Amino acid sequence: MTVELLLQTLLSGVLFGLVYALVAIGLTLIFGVMDIVNFAHGEFLMFGMYAAFWGFAFWGLDPIVTLPLTTLLLFAVGVAVYRLVIRRITDAPMLSQIFATFGLMIFFRGLAQYLWKPDFRSVDHTIVAGKVAFAGLQFGLPQVVAAAGAVATTAAVWAFLRFTRLGAALEATAADKEAAALMGIDAQKMFALAWGIGAACAGVAGALLATYYPVFPEVGSTFILVAFVLVALGGFGSVVGAFWAGILVGIVEVMGGFLWDPAYKMVLVLSLYLVVVWFRPQGLMGKA
Amino acid sequence: MRRRSPALALSLAGLAAAVAFPLLATKVTWQNAAILMLMTAQLGVAWNILGGYAGQVSLGHAAFFGAGAYVSTLLSVKLGVSPWLGMVAGAVAAGGLGVLVGTPCFRLKGHYFAMATIAVGEIVQAVVNGSDALGGAVGFNLPLGETGFWGFVFNRSKLPYYYIALGLLLATVGVNWLVNRSHVGYYLRAIKDEPDAARSLGVSLTRYKMIAMILSAGLTAMGGTLYAQKELFIDPGSTLSTSLSIKIALVAILGGAGTLWGPVLGAVVLTAIEEATRIAFGGTGRGTDLVVYGALLVVIAVFQPSGVMGLFTRRAPRAVPPPEPEARFP
Amino acid sequence: MTSPFRTFAALAALALSLGASAQEEIRIGVLYPLTGAAASTGIELKNAAQLAADLINGTDKSLGLPLAGAGGLPGLKGAKIKLVFADHQGNPQVGATEAERLIAEHKVAALQGAYFSTVTTTASQVAERNGVPFLNADSSSPALTQRGFKWFFRTTPHDELFVQNAFEFLRDLKAKKGFAQPKRIAIFAENTEFGTGAAKLQEKYAKENGFEVVEKVLYPPKGTQLTSEVQKLKASRPDLVMQSSYLGDAILSMKTYKDLGFLPTALLANDAGFNDSEFLKTMGKDGNFVISREVWALDLGAKKPVIARANALLQARHGVNFNGNSARAFTGVFALADAINRAGSTRPEAIQKALQQTNIPGADLIMPWGGIQFDATGQNTKGAGIIVQVQDGKYVTVWPFDLASKDVIWPMPAWDKR
Repeated sequence: MTVELLLQTLLSGVLFGLVYALVAIGLTLIFGVMDIVNFAHGEFLMFGMYAAFWGFAFWGLDPIVTLPLTTLLLFAVGVAVYRLVIRRITDAPMLSQIFATFGLMIFFRGLAQYLWKPDFRSVDHTIVAGKVAFAGLQFGLPQVVAAAGAVATTAAVWAFLRFTRLGAALEATAADKEAAALMGIDAQKMFALAWGIGAACAGVAGALLATYYPVFPEVGSTFILVAFVLVALGGFGSVVGAFWAGILVGIVEVMGGFLWDPAYKMVLVLSLYLVVVWFRPQGLMGKA
Repeated sequence: MRRRSPALALSLAGLAAAVAFPLLATKVTWQNAAILMLMTAQLGVAWNILGGYAGQVSLGHAAFFGAGAYVSTLLSVKLGVSPWLGMVAGAVAAGGLGVLVGTPCFRLKGHYFAMATIAVGEIVQAVVNGSDALGGAVGFNLPLGETGFWGFVFNRSKLPYYYIALGLLLATVGVNWLVNRSHVGYYLRAIKDEPDAARSLGVSLTRYKMIAMILSAGLTAMGGTLYAQKELFIDPGSTLSTSLSIKIALVAILGGAGTLWGPVLGAVVLTAIEEATRIAFGGTGRGTDLVVYGALLVVIAVFQPSGVMGLFTRRAPRAVPPPEPEARFP
Repeated sequence: MTSPFRTFAALAALALSLGASAQEEIRIGVLYPLTGAAASTGIELKNAAQLAADLINGTDKSLGLPLAGAGGLPGLKGAKIKLVFADHQGNPQVGATEAERLIAEHKVAALQGAYFSTVTTTASQVAERNGVPFLNADSSSPALTQRGFKWFFRTTPHDELFVQNAFEFLRDLKAKKGFAQPKRIAIFAENTEFGTGAAKLQEKYAKENGFEVVEKVLYPPKGTQLTSEVQKLKASRPDLVMQSSYLGDAILSMKTYKDLGFLPTALLANDAGFNDSEFLKTMGKDGNFVISREVWALDLGAKKPVIARANALLQARHGVNFNGNSARAFTGVFALADAINRAGSTRPEAIQKALQQTNIPGADLIMPWGGIQFDATGQNTKGAGIIVQVQDGKYVTVWPFDLASKDVIWPMPAWDKR
């Protein structure tokens, strides 16, 4: 019984951690390319969840079926946010960039309440409903699918950055804007691309989460603190770092809450961050 | 000197207006809004010492604010100590907490430091929330009765709170001004703008950052005591939350971090927007107030990126330079 | 400094002109969380309160409550009631600021609100300082009426009574129905004021009544997951879980129970999220068999027709049923109107005195209460709780047995046998 409980808890932690990671890689990607912390990132997630929900409510389409659409939609939202707002503050002091994205966060939350009411909504049946059981352990299928989707998306983003010309251009812009510009890379386009991909990642996460987590205007606030911790813990700008940090944080949060006291599960996660940066001030995989 | 005299005249005129305001605007709502502005401004100015001048962006200042609110409240509820003494004790406690936080965190740069302060703030909130001795999640109610000056509870009129808030703000601005003019301010700017050069010249980075931290934390705590005595109710959610920390930072940034009067201006603008949008649209229950509030913040950030203070600095050069691009995180 | 002030002045003036009102109205300030995490509840409360005011101002007497259809308050020559709503955002300081604004700018005769106990605390302080009656219809923290306030009146019972009810219910199950008494109790509560307060009372009464508290899990609300909490509960093998959660966590915990196959004999919820209108909409049939304390249920309308009639009115207007929260908000407005009407004046002292003398019989309420009568602390002594269970997607009254429309289903059927 106890071993099963422990194992069950541990693996649940990994599953949650993977979804955290998916929310965080979009955030860290935007930071890596532009040095901007996007406070409104949780709201991208919220929009992704609402997109999945409305697809279900209006057309009876499963969030998994509409996932590609949700992803594209959020890509467009990310690009639009960049073109309309962020582009104008690229050279502003970092503090006012924080200010702008914080304002966006409040604006988006208010907008969601204005448009869709503050009600909690859920997708009440989905093709991924059900359970996965093996060796006495059981997991909700939506969580397993979400975790698998998170791994696949992270791998895709990583491969994109690593193996495509466009990805290389993005990385080059992240490393050195001036040098990249000299090589004929249009920084504006790269920035827009980063925002598009960053928001799209949150969109994927939103669509996957919508299969088991209720949607409401404030849902972004639930995930954003964890996402920030992940980005910092993994090292600002490091996609791979955020991924591993996600798994680590998921395990620490769920196991810590189980073995110690749930009231202090975030305390454990945040202490983990403080301990890690005590030894490595640039996070797990960040550049010093 | 020629440049300073109009600034001096402006400051005196502003001071006179601030002193006269509640005597002219006798509506309670106006006085209350003005008190909120002064209290918010004081927090922004206090934050500015660390976040603006020293460039160490803290998003955990609620921990210091809460330290002030809790220390004075505990002392007055449990031991009957005057909140004025509690205010001093709270400031000392917050300064100590600042040293505890600064010692490990000052090694961190930019965003890593900001995240660490969020972590500290959240941890403090969770610990207080879980501690019965500190009132737990329930918090404390302070007795309502009018007590006179020494007891720091005033029912009959808003004026005492107004002038206390104004006095505290002026004292905080004064500390800022002194720091800015002293060698400490000189070194802080050096640390912010040219950390490597400063270090090579033998400036102890940590020591001066620590001075900024202690002053900033202590002054923030005094604001916390004032809050507790004005609202007469404190709990972890209202005095220790990260959203409060972020608001404190926003005030300074909105006005212009690293400028003497920027945070004051920021508080006036932010409080005005907050109150006005809520009064105009809050009763509808449709979130319209948040839409307008958020949109205004974005507009200000886009069109006035160096803070509202930038509107003034463009016209007349200031003694304090606006934040350099290097004020950005590395 | 002048230009921002001028902007503020202009905006404030605009706000005032929007809220300006005629002379013959009786203004009541109503504070609810209209934005933020609890906005959906706040808006439900707002709608119910507004319905009550419109009924009093209107001339349709078909509801059958004394003031409904009176066309305004007869004691004040037919003056109409105007509710002035304000959003406190769940923030105690904003609650105090808004209470002060309603008193000073809108000259409200009384205040009602504020759902969150923390906000009720600060907002009622402002009322106390200004000598304006504050009627609280929906905050359950016992401490609120232990402050010695003279202007504070609470119509709803508080948590101590609700927790006592829960244990009476368990005792009755054994004594009158012959059910096996559960022995092992796990307490599961969110760790803000609401949850920790309820958990303390539950622990105290469980021990007094000879139960064993095998686990007490206090969790931080609005988290991303409750797996560690549910695993802890599971490990303690309780017969009965007593849970205090707001909506989001109530939904999340139920889903986690199902995913992890956790099933106690019974889940006894402490109102809040479990009785929110959104709860069953979201949970569907997975919400079945949850037992919760309540103050109101639709099926009570079978024995008390005014309940069904009032519900039909809310249905017609907003397409939703009443629930415990909105029924209490509705009742709060009627209680205030009753006092103001008897006071025959909007003078605060007169209303305060009338409130102290309030004696509304149970028949004149849409609540299953003995009536409304305040003691010296301002607490209604005739309030009562009921216990409901979700059966076939509806809340049905299962206790007290003389009010019950259905038998309690006990134990909960397994997740895969539903």
